[in-house]
Amino acid sequence: MFQQFELASGVKLFVRPTEQFKTINISFKWKQPLTVEKASIRAVLANILQFSNEVYPTNVAFRKRLDDLYGTVLYFDTTKKGSHHIFSLNAETVNDAYLSNEKIVDEVFSLLHTVIFKPNLVNGKFDEAIVKREKEQVIERIQSMYDDKTRYAQQRLLENIRPNKAASISSNGTVDAVKAITNDQLVEMHQELLTKDNLSIYIVGDVNVDEIKEKMTNHFSFVDRTEVLEKAEEVPNEKNDKNFLHEIQEMKQGKLHIAYQTPITFFSEEFPVMQLTNGILGGFSHSKIFMNVREKESMAYYASSSYSSLYGLIFVLAGIESNLQEKAVALIDEQLKALQAGEISDLELNQTKSMLTNQLKEALDSARAQIEIYDQYKELNTSFTVDNWIEKWKDVTKEQIQQTALTIEKEFVYFLSGKEGAANE
Amino acid sequence: MNKNYFEQLEETLYNETLPNGLDVYILPKKGFSKTFVTFTTKYGSIDREFIPLGKDEPVIVPDGIAHFLEHKMFEKEEGDVFQKFSEKGASANAFTSFTRTAYLFSSTDHVLDNTKTLLDFVQQPYFTEQTVEKEKGIIGQEITMYDDQPDWRLYFGTIENMYKEYPVKIDIAGTIETISHITADHLYECYNTFYHPSNMVLFVVGAVNQEEMMGFIKADQAAKTFEEPQEIKRFYPEEQEAVDIKERTLKMDVQKPKVLFGIKASNTDISGDEMLNYELAMQVAIEMLFGRSSAFYQEIYENGWIDESYSADFSMEQGYGFTMIGSDTVNPTELTEKIKETIKRYASNWNLEEEDLQRIVRKKIGFFLRALNSIEYIANQFTRYSFNDMNLFDVVPALEKLTMDQVKEAFQSLTNEDAHTVFTILPFEKNND
Repeated sequence: MFQQFELASGVKLFVRPTEQFKTINISFKWKQPLTVEKASIRAVLANILQFSNEVYPTNVAFRKRLDDLYGTVLYFDTTKKGSHHIFSLNAETVNDAYLSNEKIVDEVFSLLHTVIFKPNLVNGKFDEAIVKREKEQVIERIQSMYDDKTRYAQQRLLENIRPNKAASISSNGTVDAVKAITNDQLVEMHQELLTKDNLSIYIVGDVNVDEIKEKMTNHFSFVDRTEVLEKAEEVPNEKNDKNFLHEIQEMKQGKLHIAYQTPITFFSEEFPVMQLTNGILGGFSHSKIFMNVREKESMAYYASSSYSSLYGLIFVLAGIESNLQEKAVALIDEQLKALQAGEISDLELNQTKSMLTNQLKEALDSARAQIEIYDQYKELNTSFTVDNWIEKWKDVTKEQIQQTALTIEKEFVYFLSGKEGAANE
Repeated sequence: MNKNYFEQLEETLYNETLPNGLDVYILPKKGFSKTFVTFTTKYGSIDREFIPLGKDEPVIVPDGIAHFLEHKMFEKEEGDVFQKFSEKGASANAFTSFTRTAYLFSSTDHVLDNTKTLLDFVQQPYFTEQTVEKEKGIIGQEITMYDDQPDWRLYFGTIENMYKEYPVKIDIAGTIETISHITADHLYECYNTFYHPSNMVLFVVGAVNQEEMMGFIKADQAAKTFEEPQEIKRFYPEEQEAVDIKERTLKMDVQKPKVLFGIKASNTDISGDEMLNYELAMQVAIEMLFGRSSAFYQEIYENGWIDESYSADFSMEQGYGFTMIGSDTVNPTELTEKIKETIKRYASNWNLEEEDLQRIVRKKIGFFLRALNSIEYIANQFTRYSFNDMNLFDVVPALEKLTMDQVKEAFQSLTNEDAHTVFTILPFEKNND
């Protein structure tokens, strides 16, 4: 899919020339081991670099520059992938071909250089007022999760099953950790991005590969990453004898979130089989959970499962009447049991294979998705192509699915609901 | 089949109106793997009073029925239509808005089979009292889900403040009470009136051969029988210029207040080029005054009065429209006062330059070109434009021609204080814990 070049040790460029899009997408991804402290610092640093830089020292000047470049989208973002924190800079700009007599792609490259290499420092420090405000913005972002009851319930579930582990650490860190950040730590983290983080750069669009390589080397000079950043220390799983938690808020619907564990992860041989297993269980609108919880029992509007393959976790989510929690859990348990007993029809199997195939092929119609999928699948030792992957699903049998279903173990039920739901405890 | 080439965008659009009145559009996109097909009727939640097909007297149907009908279209005597789409690897979906109901699928394979499934399921209704009753539990949970979403309550509360009579003030899904009155007969009545091909648009975009696809659709439609197209008589109440309620507050379990400042649009009984120009002028005006590169935005951001949830938008359909500006904020009063003050200031002293206008126009052109990478955007927006007698591909030329006078004129409609309203969501008062 992508042509690959090494710009420095630990710095790779991936280019995909295609006429499919009217824009050029660029993504820088800086990667280092995930900890609460680092995630917090990086989230705030992303905001600070987004606000201003040496060339455009005020936000209004910077925004006007982006508007002038045909509303070029340029934003920093923080995410996580497995046990790594990803600090990214994404840009999307109109291809010159669609504009009369303009050359903006070069201008965008030079702007990217500015935002990465020329931060708005005074005497080696960021402006204190900016630091203070952007810390506040990140704190408010973390707190806003409370207002989105589905996200909040999912986070509470994760905190209960994997406390202090990568699976539950937010890519924004925590309120306390953000409060504790100092100006020096931010400056130091910026240096780490430039010298230590593993960096992958993706470019997708109607570009000439040689020209792009040249632009990259002309505009940027990357230093070799010599130091290997150490993995965060593995915290042993705290033994949790609780397997149910019901929390109350002032709300109408009950949010049911169930966690299951499996030893099969993204890196396992059986990963493609587990993708199908999850698909039959609850990944689609033909799946067992949707058909039974929603269509047959009319208990929910949404009811589905998802496979978090980097953590070996499966989640089932449903929005239900708050007094139906026990009934819903029992019904969902039955669906997994059926799968584990090998109750899988030819129709279900074929539907799930078709849907997964379609999902993967469709994803290629978005430049961002091309980047995200490749960025994940390149971690596997096999060279990834869509057709190869589809081939892996083709011959999977019901017996294989049953075997992987048997590795799925229910771990925790989290329920968030209004007061009336409390009555049945 | 008509062919239209849009040179600057390098897009070719094919279209034909079939004998039964159905408008079919096909836009082949090179390099794409999937095909996206939408089948949309010009029928939404605001269409609650109308003369049913073959009758003489207007009726008023229960609130939420267009959305209810959308749900029920998926269930057939032989089972759930999703099953059929899944077999052929298609992701299917549907949505109901104030003015439209759309059914859609995307797939990378078996595109003709899936198109057939789409046409058949939308054109062959099957409702029974039993299946209607079953759906009430599912939609009840959907309504409850939205009830718990503060951003939806904020948006809808602001619309309710603005409109006294116009049915845009009624929640698209209705309420648990109103949907309890819906019967299979209601659904047939609405279906027969609004799902005639002459009230619908079929849009196909992506990896498609236009000749083959058009031939396939024509043959399918020719083999089905429909009544003669008739004009649909819909009735909408008169709406006053002023807002209905100036200010309202709702308490929810949130961590921080949320506020929306709403401005009811006055000039909404328009369509075609007039609508296109007015809508673009309005969006550009909002962006110039309240966008992220505006002096207003810089000041409130630096004051800490807004966060990343800030937004400022204008949207309209024929008959209604509104500007909404707001954010999660601990200073809702300061923020709304500042918005009012900003409007007043520009009304007395419009100190924006041609250069500012051109910058925002460039930004909007860039946004539009980016959006054209998304075949979902093209299909949904094209249909909306066509129901309002506009053409999506006229946006860039219209933006290039936009003048400061047009923008100033659009801005004038924001200055009527009777059209201003504020809706605030506040956290419950917490005990000290």
